[in-house]
Amino acid sequence: LIFAVMRLTKPTLFTNIPVTCEERDLPGNLFNQLMKDDPSTVKGAETLMLGEMLTLPQNFGNIFLGETFSSYISVHNDSSQVVKDILVKADLQTSSQRLNLSASSAAVAELKPDCCIDDVIHHEVKEIGTHILVCAVSYTTQTGEKMYFRKFFKFQVLKPLDVKTKFYNAETDEVFLEAQIQNITTSPMFMEKVSLEPSMMYNVAELNTVDTAGVSESTFGARTYLQPMDTRQYLYCLKPKQEFAEKAGVIKGVTVIGKLDIVWKTNLGERGRLQTSQLQRMAPGYGDVRLSLETIPDTVNLEEPFDITCKVTNCSERTMDLVLEMCNTNSIHWCGVSGRQLGKLHPSSSLHLALTLLSSVQGLQSVSGLRLTDTFLKRTYEYDDIAQVCVVSSEVKQS
Amino acid sequence: SNAKDAKSTSDEDDSRDIVQQKTQEEEILFHEETIDLGGDEFESEGNETVSENSNNFVDKLNEQMMESVIISDSPNNSEDDTGELGCLQEIVDQMEAKHNQKVQAEVDKEEFLSNESETEHEETPKDISEIGTDDQASLKEESIQETVKEEPKLGNNVPVEPKPNNIDESKPEDQILSPSTTKPSSEAEPIPVCTIFSQANNASTQPQLFLPDGFEPQMVKSPSFSSIIETPVKSNPQVVQPSPSLSKFFGDTVNTNTLASDFFDSFTTSNFISVSNPNASSSVPEQMSSLSNGEDSSSSNPTFPLQNGRSEAGGPPSSLEITQSPKPFSQIQAVFAGSDDPFATALNMSELDRRNDAWIPSEETRNVLISVATQQYSAVFIEKENLTMPGLKFDNIQGDAVKDLMLRFLGEQAAVKRQVLNANSVEQSFVGLKQLISSKNWRAAVDLCGRLLTAHGQGYKKSGLPASHTTDSLQLWFVRLALLVKLNLFQNAEMEFEPFGNLDQPDLYYEYYPNVYPGRKGSMVPFSMRILHAELPQYLGNPQESLDRLHSMKTICAKILENLEQGLAEDGSMTNITQENRQASVQLWRSRLGRVMYSMANCLLMMKDYVLAVDTYHTVIKYYPQQEPQLLSGIGRIFLQIGDIKTAEKYFQDVEKVTHKLDGLQSQIMVLMNRAFLHLGQNNFAEAHRFFTEILRIDSSNAVANNNAAVCLLYLGKLKDSLRQLEGMVQQDPKHYLHESVLFNLTTMYELESSRSMQKKQALLEAVAIKEGDSFNTQCLKLG
Repeated sequence: LIFAVMRLTKPTLFTNIPVTCEERDLPGNLFNQLMKDDPSTVKGAETLMLGEMLTLPQNFGNIFLGETFSSYISVHNDSSQVVKDILVKADLQTSSQRLNLSASSAAVAELKPDCCIDDVIHHEVKEIGTHILVCAVSYTTQTGEKMYFRKFFKFQVLKPLDVKTKFYNAETDEVFLEAQIQNITTSPMFMEKVSLEPSMMYNVAELNTVDTAGVSESTFGARTYLQPMDTRQYLYCLKPKQEFAEKAGVIKGVTVIGKLDIVWKTNLGERGRLQTSQLQRMAPGYGDVRLSLETIPDTVNLEEPFDITCKVTNCSERTMDLVLEMCNTNSIHWCGVSGRQLGKLHPSSSLHLALTLLSSVQGLQSVSGLRLTDTFLKRTYEYDDIAQVCVVSSEVKQS
Repeated sequence: SNAKDAKSTSDEDDSRDIVQQKTQEEEILFHEETIDLGGDEFESEGNETVSENSNNFVDKLNEQMMESVIISDSPNNSEDDTGELGCLQEIVDQMEAKHNQKVQAEVDKEEFLSNESETEHEETPKDISEIGTDDQASLKEESIQETVKEEPKLGNNVPVEPKPNNIDESKPEDQILSPSTTKPSSEAEPIPVCTIFSQANNASTQPQLFLPDGFEPQMVKSPSFSSIIETPVKSNPQVVQPSPSLSKFFGDTVNTNTLASDFFDSFTTSNFISVSNPNASSSVPEQMSSLSNGEDSSSSNPTFPLQNGRSEAGGPPSSLEITQSPKPFSQIQAVFAGSDDPFATALNMSELDRRNDAWIPSEETRNVLISVATQQYSAVFIEKENLTMPGLKFDNIQGDAVKDLMLRFLGEQAAVKRQVLNANSVEQSFVGLKQLISSKNWRAAVDLCGRLLTAHGQGYKKSGLPASHTTDSLQLWFVRLALLVKLNLFQNAEMEFEPFGNLDQPDLYYEYYPNVYPGRKGSMVPFSMRILHAELPQYLGNPQESLDRLHSMKTICAKILENLEQGLAEDGSMTNITQENRQASVQLWRSRLGRVMYSMANCLLMMKDYVLAVDTYHTVIKYYPQQEPQLLSGIGRIFLQIGDIKTAEKYFQDVEKVTHKLDGLQSQIMVLMNRAFLHLGQNNFAEAHRFFTEILRIDSSNAVANNNAAVCLLYLGKLKDSLRQLEGMVQQDPKHYLHESVLFNLTTMYELESSRSMQKKQALLEAVAIKEGDSFNTQCLKLG
């Protein structure tokens, strides 16, 4: 018996090199005729380079994590004898496990000379690194002798994508996730799906399409694929679900955001799929008392009062009794009484503050100078650079 | 997570150890033939570990993913890995657990080395070392291993990297190239022509060329000349009529005597008809006639001493083909004797010539041409760099790879039977050349082109020496270079293209030779040669240069079309053109512009810039509306290639809409073909096979469908059926189906099928030997 294994990557399309001439040229229509007679050209459009002829894979190629490894296993009887009880087994040995890939484990009763047993195996590759395909055949010869042999085929599984993530915390509880996905293979990759599967605490909105007149268009435009080494940025907006958002203290420290699910396709629909691990996010530390901004105008007039609304949340485990102080800066002047009592604030509860202030300087001004003091512990929390506001002179604003 | 990772890797190590021990056990058991048990045992263990791991497996995987997020040097590592990856290597069973890894590394290396030295297709996954069925073979294996062990250890874990594919491919070309380039230096040449000519020319013509007109050393521009250069810089094309005497006759030629002018045309239009007529001249004498013409005129006119020298060099021909070149030399000369006559001059500039040869030279070249036209009676000197001085760079690439392989594998007797035409066995003329081309003996045809060019004084070692050009010499160059490209000998083509520069040098225009081609205007360089010139760099890994060249061609084509629309002649001069002729001209130049766009799209496709390529193919459709279904299908296939199945489907649907209107076999096949491809993209080989087979029901001789159906069968695990289909197809019509791609698939399957692939491949070689010419690419037979 002889044993042969061939990896079945998708076939490729044959490309021909068009050489044309015109009728008045020396070869007349000879070159064109030659191209017409060539079976690999597209009839009627011989100059088109990309033909229709499929050619089998010419080498093992690369295999990437998440792709499906397919292989043809052929056991051929090269001898002149009939052999019996043939059992073919194909295992895949990775660095951590061994998988049986054979479709059938039943023995074939007999194999005549010049006949073969064929098997096509598939396996979705889930590990990086060295893989060894172990093929074993056992059979009985005519003389009743039991035979066994096996072969090893080694290949490396590479990483297809490089994924980098970054979180942006909005003033509200929203979290923006930027995922940079880089194609580190050597062939173009069509990204069929890149989605974020949020954890149970979040709702997700994908920000990778732009709606124009009801038609959602990808932000990547017509370029649906990633060239080798190209990187794409995907953006997601995560909002805590209502039930979790209310319990403000819950989203604290390390939280699980969810995972990215990536499906891509390459040559002739060769498919690959990967998921990242749970993306974890370190929630920004808010200390004991969090002051967040609810409303603020973006542009205000010079020396005219405007209102902002703040939200004060007790992130600590104890009840607080708070006093608000407002300190003027060079540009920001607070209106109203400083040193106001805000009353008792229980853990995980919050209160809203409406404040009025004005700016005496034009330009982009930073709102600073709020101080909260917990009278129980005599501890003061300072809040500077809460927000920025654009201050313009009143004439500009009117015009 | 680091700690975790470390743990996991140690786990892995452990498990590996277990595995190795296991294999060891198995190995021992092996000889007692109780391996099945061992295997089962092992399997069960393996399964256990699987179940253990499988729960957190995904997470583990993910951890690695995330790690990669942080680790910055991962790309490097992975690159190193790719080296190892090239082929599916086979590892011999490991015997000793102690040295396991080292041995393994070495074995790997051994595999690689032996592969490389033995065969070229080392990267094919099926380089299967024949492990026999019996114990003997396995013993052999062990012995191999032992020898491996004894070998000194060269850097552990540094696998010999298999070379990337393209290098491998280019290698054989180099090998072909280098001998042919170096060979000529030794004077002993198999072909008499080249040596005779080069000697003769070296001896006699060179001094003549240089001395009389003081051409090379001085490089002086005559004062009058330079003043003229400065004046017409403003480039008012209408104002700059070459010479009053010539322009007077342009209008007349158009209607009156097209037939006559066709007759006088050196070879392009009428030549092929006259071939059949024994009395008419074959093309070679014709070109000689134009030479003699030059001689005549230059005797009275010292302006073009180049002609003089050349014709003298060609005058006393002692070599094979000149003596063969038939008699009517004198007849033609007689006919052309009247070329001094202004009327005959006018005839020469035919409508067809003007339309086809039109080209817009660069400013600099135009100035030179104008000065040539206006300074007819005093010498015009042109810098040497601005002249085109081509020559053969290698004098023959003869050889028949098929025959070589036959000698190697089938023995001398079989090889003797291989009979192909070569440059010696055909008439040394255009007729013979065409015979070689159509019989697919392109190497011989390249050779013959070389000989004919040698007769033109542009043979081997003539590069860099002044030459004069004729329509024929340029056509010969075109054919030679085109064939080199067809043979994938791109480097050779590039070398010989080099002296032509950007195909815009003044001596490549008819206006440069007012005495030889009186009244004729435009470029001698065939349009197809420009295309070839523009396309060439992309095959040599420089597609950007190709794009640049194509873009400048596009600009000129567009300019010519614009001129035509504005009622001018192609080159922007004020010439009366009838409506009919104008229409024909617009049509010609539109199709040429389309051809340029085609090349551009192909080039972009090669660059994998799919978005632009698709856009450009869309533009091509505007120029070639009749190819719309094919082009749309092509675009669909591009998307399929990228993996964008949805868009591919959209295009295939468009094709169905377009072909819906026209019925007919071809469009029906196209639709079926596209559907099959779509299924292929969806991983549904069974359905794809069904559609390919359906095509065969309509058109049983469809090579593509036949081949593709066979490929599908292989993916469905039906190797034998697949082979049967391909073999049947090749036997049915070997003339047609002995195509590279089909044979490649066939040999690949032979290799997969059995150990007798060698014999079967040799049988294919014999079939090829009968049907194919010397241009056959033997690599697809994978005979090593």
